[in-house]
Amino acid sequence: MGAATVSAALVVAALATNAYADECTGISARGERFAQCFDLGNRLSVTASSEGLGIAVGVRHEITFDDDPDLEWKMQHTLVDASHSAFDGAFEGAFYRGRYLRHSRDGHLVIPFGGGAPKKVFLPFDIGAIFEAGSIAWKPMDPEFTIGVVRVAPLVDFARARDYHRIFALGPSMHWDMNVDRSFEAVTTQTVAPFSELLANAHFESDDGLWVSDMRVEAGTAWRSDRGWSAEARASATVERIVIAIRDRPVALTAGIQYDSVRAETVARIGARFVVLDRTHPRVSLHPLQPKRTDPLVAPPPPIPEPPPEPPVLDLEPHAPQAEPDSSPIGQAVQSLLLGS
Amino acid sequence: MRAVYTAIAVIGIVLPGARAFADDALPRAMDPDHPVMCLRDASDLVWRIQCDNRTKQCLYAPNEELDEAGHRVKPLERARTCELDVPFDRKKMEADGFTFTPAIVDAPYGWMRDEHQRVYQVNFDLRKRLYVGAAYTPQKILDNPLESTRTSVDFGLFVYNHLSNADSKTPTMHRLRLFEGQVHMQPFSAEFVMAHYDMSHKFLDPLLRITTFVGTPRRHDMVLDLGTWGEVGNLELHKTPMGNSQLWRHATAQVTIDLWQSADLSSFARIRTGLGLEGQRDDVNGYRTAITESSAFDIDWVLDPQGFNNVRFLLSHEVPRYFTATETTGKFVQRFKAQLEYERIILAINDQPLSLHVAAGGEKRDDLPGVPNVWAFVFDTGLRFSLWAPPRLAPHS
Repeated sequence: MGAATVSAALVVAALATNAYADECTGISARGERFAQCFDLGNRLSVTASSEGLGIAVGVRHEITFDDDPDLEWKMQHTLVDASHSAFDGAFEGAFYRGRYLRHSRDGHLVIPFGGGAPKKVFLPFDIGAIFEAGSIAWKPMDPEFTIGVVRVAPLVDFARARDYHRIFALGPSMHWDMNVDRSFEAVTTQTVAPFSELLANAHFESDDGLWVSDMRVEAGTAWRSDRGWSAEARASATVERIVIAIRDRPVALTAGIQYDSVRAETVARIGARFVVLDRTHPRVSLHPLQPKRTDPLVAPPPPIPEPPPEPPVLDLEPHAPQAEPDSSPIGQAVQSLLLGS
Repeated sequence: MRAVYTAIAVIGIVLPGARAFADDALPRAMDPDHPVMCLRDASDLVWRIQCDNRTKQCLYAPNEELDEAGHRVKPLERARTCELDVPFDRKKMEADGFTFTPAIVDAPYGWMRDEHQRVYQVNFDLRKRLYVGAAYTPQKILDNPLESTRTSVDFGLFVYNHLSNADSKTPTMHRLRLFEGQVHMQPFSAEFVMAHYDMSHKFLDPLLRITTFVGTPRRHDMVLDLGTWGEVGNLELHKTPMGNSQLWRHATAQVTIDLWQSADLSSFARIRTGLGLEGQRDDVNGYRTAITESSAFDIDWVLDPQGFNNVRFLLSHEVPRYFTATETTGKFVQRFKAQLEYERIILAINDQPLSLHVAAGGEKRDDLPGVPNVWAFVFDTGLRFSLWAPPRLAPHS
């Protein structure tokens, strides 16, 4: 009995798994389709939050190889991620943010030394990098604004997910920031962390894209041109939950918290994110397959007119039907035997 | 160098699940240029077999990757297709004198296989990559390596060389660099370029030919391998005794002449000259603009076919002509710069190379207020980590 129950449960679970694709496409009572899963990586979104109005363009794509199906580059780009507060004139933005992860089934390290063939050591993680360029932070009451010229962190990703849903990555971080005097429009201080900080990034998405959370911690020491080395730390956490969709464009509630030891500030924000353009989730089918077209694409030729019926041949004298002579050897032998020739 | 080996050893020891294989006794690999057959044995397992009629030797290997116990676990990666189930009579071949030897399946150019038939990259094109690096001046490492003010970092978001018309006799190499730069911490200096493009072309017809008639008439061809070089958005920052200096080279365009080119145009020696528009701002003179004549001699040399050893040399001269003279400089100033770099791949993590980078450079200029017009030298040694870096083009391609 128990075994049967378990088997039934497994069958139900298997059926549920097979029906996974259907979970992303809802059908209303009137038979109309709507999206229930969303692609969080490819979209143009506008965010209205307690920090102001923001815009971001996200692009995700994979680079795969025909001759190595176990290797995949997961590329995530964010272009022009900016927000502006109309209340106090604050502005924050980044020209480009990229996160690249190289997922392979067999992580390894190759050492080309020691003579002979290179040596190979197998490692249990994926690798990748974060690259950010051209960020700016403009605070209303601050006499300076900050330009983040570049921020780079090579990463090792222990999550090793084939998709974008899970990331747990660590790596040394390098960044170069400039403080610019707003009045004199001149650089006042430079801040450089030459891989002297550790960056940890955790990212989780639900399969349907309704939930996404991202956490990032960066801590270590950095050099400032005016006061030398000092410890600094930054941390941020965001969570986004899609609550409704308008014409299959999701609207999400967002919440986040950000800490910066240099500014000695902790900022929390909440808001709503409206996706203006996005790519339809691959498992969503808003347009059902059309039934196979049966009518011919080319007009058929005109029907051939049937010939008029021939007049009947009148045969008034009845006669027996005459069989055709059998030309086979056996048939000829039979005929000669019967006819006596 | 010992520190690097120590680090490698530590990585290998402490990481859970890390397994090292000694590749010294690797079986012979199949020849990628010879045909290979796929045959099914009595157990329905597929084997790759490559026979040489001259040596009467057949190499055979399983058509799948193996685990540590020798079990077949997954299909081969980066393996060429082979004809399956062709007629094959092993007993007859053995009677004809053929011997059968276990081997490793061949891998594409730039890759190798281990004894488990797993593939890994052993050839790297450092002209196609994203890289980050950190360097230290050796003198300061002894003080405090984590807080050395003699530290520098370098980065390149997109380094891409593309060879067009590679199969023709007149190929063209396009070199694109996006957001590449370097930051030195003390004395602070930084330089980065938003976009760079240069192009080399191999010309077949001589631009000029001279015939000499002294003795036997002889023809002398002078091929001028002309190209172009350009940069947009070059920013250079310096901390001087009299404040900060910012130099924006808004745009620079030059003509290049390659004095030497390698066959695949990945290496070259060239001279280049041209004009640029720049603006400089410092705390003494404010902002001023200039038209700059610039010339340089470049060497970019990949020393080995595997791309492991790379040398770069730069000797440049710039003469900005400012529209107005200042208290510290006249209308004309001069900048000299020399730099020699050597980069050597020391290991690869998931086929992504980590390289040792050594650089020595000097600079002499009279455009920075408070900076003496004498040669100043800097020496850096550090590591670079590169992403992407695919195998270099095969020599015949």
